[in-house]
Amino acid sequence: MNKGGLLAGMLGAATIGLVVIGTVWPVSSARAYAGGQGLLRSSSTPEAAVQNLGDQIRAQAWQRAYESLANKAQFTEPEFVGDLMGYYPNLRTYSGVDHVEVFPLHASDNDAEVQLKLYWSTVVGPSVSTRDLHVVRDGDHWVAEWPIVKRPVVPPQVIPVNYLRWDVIYRGPGDDWGTQDVESPHVRIVDMHPVQRAEGLVILGELLNEDVVPAYVSVTATLLGKDQTPFATEGSFDKISHLLLPKQVTPFLIQFPGASLSDVQSVRMTPFSTLVPASADPVIEIDNEHLNPAPGASLTGQLINQSGQVVNVAHVLGTFYDSTGHVVWIADQYVDSALLPQTPVPFEIHIPEDLARKVSSERTVVASYTAGGVS
Amino acid sequence: MQKSESLELPQRPISMSLLLMAAVAVHLPLLLMKLPLKSYDTNFHIFFASHYLHHWFDPWNPKWYAGFSQTTYPPLPQQWVALVSHAVGLDLAYMAVQLAAILLLVVGVYRFAKLWVNPRAASIAALASIFLGSESFLVYSAGQLGTTAAAPIYLNALPFLFEWIRRGSWRSFVKASILFTAAAAAHHATLLFGSFFFALPVLALAFLDRENGVRVSTPAFLVRTLIITLAVGAAIAIVLLPFWIALIHYPVTQTPIPHPSRANYILSPQWGLNYFVVPYGALILALPFIFMRGSMVARLRPLLLGFWVAFLLGLGGTTPVGPILLGRAFDVLTMERFSYWATLLALPFVGALAAELFARYRARAAVSLAVLATFTCALAVGWTTYHPADAEDFDVGSAASWLNRDGHDQYRYVTLGFGNKISRLAMMTDAGSVDGEWNSGRMLPELTRYGGGPLTSSKYFGKPGLDALRAMLSHADHYGLKWVLVRDHYYDPLLSFAGWRPVDNLDEDTITIWSKDGVPPATPVNAPQMPPHWQGLMWGILPFGSSILAILVLLIPEKRQQEAQAKYRFASDEDRVPGRMVS
Repeated sequence: MNKGGLLAGMLGAATIGLVVIGTVWPVSSARAYAGGQGLLRSSSTPEAAVQNLGDQIRAQAWQRAYESLANKAQFTEPEFVGDLMGYYPNLRTYSGVDHVEVFPLHASDNDAEVQLKLYWSTVVGPSVSTRDLHVVRDGDHWVAEWPIVKRPVVPPQVIPVNYLRWDVIYRGPGDDWGTQDVESPHVRIVDMHPVQRAEGLVILGELLNEDVVPAYVSVTATLLGKDQTPFATEGSFDKISHLLLPKQVTPFLIQFPGASLSDVQSVRMTPFSTLVPASADPVIEIDNEHLNPAPGASLTGQLINQSGQVVNVAHVLGTFYDSTGHVVWIADQYVDSALLPQTPVPFEIHIPEDLARKVSSERTVVASYTAGGVS
Repeated sequence: MQKSESLELPQRPISMSLLLMAAVAVHLPLLLMKLPLKSYDTNFHIFFASHYLHHWFDPWNPKWYAGFSQTTYPPLPQQWVALVSHAVGLDLAYMAVQLAAILLLVVGVYRFAKLWVNPRAASIAALASIFLGSESFLVYSAGQLGTTAAAPIYLNALPFLFEWIRRGSWRSFVKASILFTAAAAAHHATLLFGSFFFALPVLALAFLDRENGVRVSTPAFLVRTLIITLAVGAAIAIVLLPFWIALIHYPVTQTPIPHPSRANYILSPQWGLNYFVVPYGALILALPFIFMRGSMVARLRPLLLGFWVAFLLGLGGTTPVGPILLGRAFDVLTMERFSYWATLLALPFVGALAAELFARYRARAAVSLAVLATFTCALAVGWTTYHPADAEDFDVGSAASWLNRDGHDQYRYVTLGFGNKISRLAMMTDAGSVDGEWNSGRMLPELTRYGGGPLTSSKYFGKPGLDALRAMLSHADHYGLKWVLVRDHYYDPLLSFAGWRPVDNLDEDTITIWSKDGVPPATPVNAPQMPPHWQGLMWGILPFGSSILAILVLLIPEKRQQEAQAKYRFASDEDRVPGRMVS
């Protein structure tokens, strides 16, 4: 072979070699687009089998994920997808799996238990769900069994609704929010204090609607330094229930990441309220509430939708008090499944270990979102 | 017999006028149909141009990112769009500038290819450039005006570089320097990478040819190379000074944003189709010839190596070459431009192959190559239909009208689910947004920290995108962000729980406007990044001036070369094995 032929051969071989390397061991960006896997992935271990399944779920390759299951004869692919994503629009509808983790729980020669942790990225923030999977050996590889949870069947029923509703009559069709010429509902901060946490300064408190009309509320806090100049302003964002019916109270939590209490001379609180139409529906009952002590301190309970319509996303806000009735901490959880009428859905709000000992009582409020009910 | 037949065929190049007419015939109807408006980036360029139209000497644009500097992107094609728009409006001005770039490419490819192959093969290469899949892909699907405008200017500069190195012609030196500067004013990355993929092979060719015809000593070669490098470097430093100042003061340190051109095209075949099959088209069939001919012919080897490296980089994450050679830039750049450059570098080979096929198989070759070229071009043009940038076309006029009335434009807004229509909306409204499509120009920490792209498409960027959206919404008061225009109900729960309320509906309820109460009116932010007035003057004069100067110096006639082109040993005349075409 002459020099030219040799060069052509070398370039061709190098090209093919580089493509093979890039495919067998893909770079991170390529792996992300390929659903987290390279060309050669086997299910030679129970963990690998579950990892592959998790990657397929992450890539929303439902058919491949379903086909890989050992117990797929027990349910259909739509049931598998429904079990993962929900049968009604819910938080999962507004989310995708960001990454997965796999933990071996138990293994023998022919079967194993593996925990699959799905880290969801939802529109309202991260969420984690956990499934323990039974994995069985099938020849030289392993296959996972999906622990299907069948859809709850709601019996046909008639639910009478009798709830309060407040309408607002505007000056004209051109009115915008915030340009109303009526007095804002009277709201008052009934408790507020700063707490220094590792991640920064946190302002906790409660806001009361003292008025006889519903109010749309938010709270802003401004930190003032030693020279009384403001140096940081943050709002309550979603750590508050923005809609307050007359005489209702909401907790609020405002975060100042990286801020230190020692730099703060005072805090200027600015509650905001505006008159809005509102209704007391949907009514969500909180049942079986229980404060679980440390370690793993949490508040658990069930939400029961008392109305006849499906609530797509529920946001549970827990306020924790010490023995003197002061707010110790505020925590929240978005419930990842829809609330069907009269169907209990569990929730669990975690409490920081160092604060759990101080908690002697709690109060829970629920904010809700119903698809199509916003405009 | 075949060999004797081929000798009787005309070896004259296709005339330039015919080539330009062919380019007009193929692309003018497509551009008059405004097909690029459906692409990813066309509206972005028109948005920039619209700012230059009204504020030629003020590159500070308050309509995106609560204010950003347009000195972060070379302005030349956009300024031409702004200028031409005085006559025909922005959309048609864009099409006119794009057509000019396509015509310049034909000329540039011919001149560049003539360095490597005989004039007939070069003219066929120029003809092939009209049907080049990557060109149509960038024009009609990607909408990369900067890249497609800079490359032809660069290609046209290279023969002057060659002449300067070979003969020391000062006319060529001046023309090369000014054209390189104009190319940089059109697109900085083209100049940077073009130096490696295009200029280095040409310098290597000049070195290889130093004993051929007019002799060039090695010291003379080195001195001339150094002189033009310094001259061009200084010119670009001055012409794009505001760009460099912005880059030095505010380097692009934001978290990288994922782009599918960095995927592995085998593991993700849908992206392989998009970024390899469509841009290359029938050129894929010529790859074996390119490798064989480029290796066999000594003076084609620099071109082959330039092609090979660009080809590998254009494969994105299919090979580890991108991350190795580009480092962090691999996560910042998009890779389709490398495929574009690779196909441009392949054209001289394609011209040579086609010339030989014509000579050998005549009508059969002509028909086959015409079919393949047409198919390649048609696939890339039609790709916008099968793989549209926006799944749904819609008018943003009602949203713009809403923002422009009743004082709504005192506040900033952000859209959700508008895709790349945000550029069009920004052009039509007086209100400012905290979002935008020029990721390298954004400075707001809520946007740069997470690695998401435009907020309007947050959900497609997964956790980083949604984190950025939540961060921005949580600081709505700070930015005077009062309005969220929503076309995708995916985001409704977040808005609802975060204290926003729907206040209006537009376009038969397809667009919902959400509002946050208590937000103060928008005030200017990002003041430190605002370029001073002298930079605005430079930005308005020098880049555009470089293109005017380039046009003027091109009118200076070249000295008639005493040395006939035939004296060069073109690739098609040397080292070939009889009877081996593609071997």
